[in-house]
Amino acid sequence: MKRALARLCLVIAVCIGLTPLGTTQETADLRAAADEAKPIPILSGGAAFVPTWDSGDPTLVSIVSPVLLVPVSRNLMFESRAEFEGDFVRRNGNSGDFTGAIEKSLEYAEFDYIGNKYITFTAGRFLTPFNIFNERLYPNWIRDTQTDPLIYPIGTGSDNGLMIRGGVSLDPNITLNYAVYFSALSTIHHLESERHAGLRAGLFFPHHRLEIGFSEQHVLQDARVNRLGSYLEWQPARVPFDLRTEGTYSREEGDGLWIEGAYRFRNARASLLHRAQVVARTQVFHVGTVAGINPDLPTIDTRRTEGGLNYYLNDGWKALASYGRTFTAAGNSNIWTVGMTYRFVIPLGPAQ
Amino acid sequence: MKILRAFIFALTIAADVAYAGSAADSPAPISQPATASTPELNLRWMMEGEKRYRTNCGRCHQPPHKFEPRVMATAVRHMRVRGMLTDEDMKYVLYYMTH
Ligand code: HEC
Repeated sequence: MKRALARLCLVIAVCIGLTPLGTTQETADLRAAADEAKPIPILSGGAAFVPTWDSGDPTLVSIVSPVLLVPVSRNLMFESRAEFEGDFVRRNGNSGDFTGAIEKSLEYAEFDYIGNKYITFTAGRFLTPFNIFNERLYPNWIRDTQTDPLIYPIGTGSDNGLMIRGGVSLDPNITLNYAVYFSALSTIHHLESERHAGLRAGLFFPHHRLEIGFSEQHVLQDARVNRLGSYLEWQPARVPFDLRTEGTYSREEGDGLWIEGAYRFRNARASLLHRAQVVARTQVFHVGTVAGINPDLPTIDTRRTEGGLNYYLNDGWKALASYGRTFTAAGNSNIWTVGMTYRFVIPLGPAQ
Repeated sequence: MKILRAFIFALTIAADVAYAGSAADSPAPISQPATASTPELNLRWMMEGEKRYRTNCGRCHQPPHKFEPRVMATAVRHMRVRGMLTDEDMKYVLYYMTH
C-alpha cells in the first residue's frame, strides 16, 4: 500500500514537474533580464576554528568545508559539499599535547533539475531535510550558536536517493515549501545513508517573516523507527532579531526541543556595535525507550542553556565566544567556545 | 510526546494568527499589463528585487553583499533550491543582485 502510494506520488510529481507553464509578457521580460548574467561554476564554503571546553576538557575543533557548484544548463545544477574536521583533544584529557585525526565526509553531491516553478528534482546524495538545522543552519559560518543542538542526531545527516522539493506562492501572503524524499541503505565509508521515506512541509508568511513547518520520517530498516519534527522561524521586519525553534520526537531515540534568539545591534548608536549580535539558546532532551539506539545522543535526560556573542567583522569573517551550562542527573558542567569562522566564494571562471 | 503535541498546537495557532494578520495588508499584484522592458519597469524590478532580498536572504544567514554578477547567478540558483524560494522570488532577487 505504502509503495503504491509512493509510486502514485512520484508519477503525479513527474507529470506536474514536466508540464511547461504559461507566462505573461512581463514575466518573460523579467526572466530574460534576470538571465543576462550566465552562471559559472563556483567554489564556496566555510572554515572554522572553534576551540571548545566541555566539562573543562578542551577540544580544538577545526573545520574546512568546501562547496562546489557547477551549473550544467539553465535548469540543471550539480552541487556538493565535503567536510574535513579535526577535533584535536589533549592526550590525557586536561594535559599533554593535542592529537586527533582528520575526519572526511561527503555531505552532499547531487544534481538538481528545476522542472518548473513548482518542482525541483534532486538525485544523488543530499542533506536530509528533517527539520531545519541540518539543511539551513549547519555550516559554522551560519549557525548563531556553535555547538550542535542536543536533538540534532535524530533524523539528520545525509541520504542517498531521490527527492522532490519546491517553494510555491499560494498567495502574496503565504508560501508553501515542501520536500519529499526516499533514500537507500548504504554502509560505504564516507557515503553512509539510512533507508528512509520522509516529508517536510513549511508555510512562510513573507510579511511577517514567519515560517512554521513539520517533518516526518520513517526509517525503513532495522527497528523501523518513526521520527516527527516541527519548527518555527521568525524575524520581525522592524527589529534585527531572529527567533528559531525546533522540536523532535522519536519514541525509541528520544525527544527534545531547542529555542534560540539572536539580536543584532544594527540600530545601535555606536557604529562598531552594528556588527555585534548576542545570542541565547536553551534546550532539553529526554531519552527514548531503546537505550543506545542512536549512539550520538546523550545517554541521560539533559538540559542545556547557552549565551554568546558573535561579531561580524565583514561579509566573510565572524568572531565568536559563548558560555553554556549543561544540567543532568549525573551532574552539571560548563561548556565554553571561542573562535573564528570564515565564508569564502571563489569564481571558477570569468565572473563579470 | 506531550511536549511535541503542545509545540505543534502552538505553531498552528501562530500560523493562523500570522495568516489572519497578513490577509489584511495584501499588496497590489506585481504583474501589470504587458510591457516591454523600460527604465520604469527596471526600477520597479529593482525595488521589488530588493524587497524580496530583504525578506528572504537573511532568513538563514546574514544577508550577503553582492558578488560579481555571474557568481550571483550561480549562488541565487543554489539558494532557490536550498532555500526553497519561489520562482518569482528567484527572478526578482536575481535581477536585483546582478544589476
Ligand atoms: C533556507 C535557508 C537559506 C536561505 C533562505 C538563503 N540561504 Fe544562502 N545559504 C544557505 C546555506 C545553508 C548555505 C551554505 C551552503 C552549504 O554549505 O551547503 C548558503 C550559502 C550562500 C552563499 C554562499 C555560496 C553558496 O551558494 O553556497 C551565498 C552567496 C548565499 N547563500 C546567498 C543567499 C541569497 C542571495 C539568498 C536570498 C535569495 C539566500 N542565500 C537565502 C541557506 C539559505
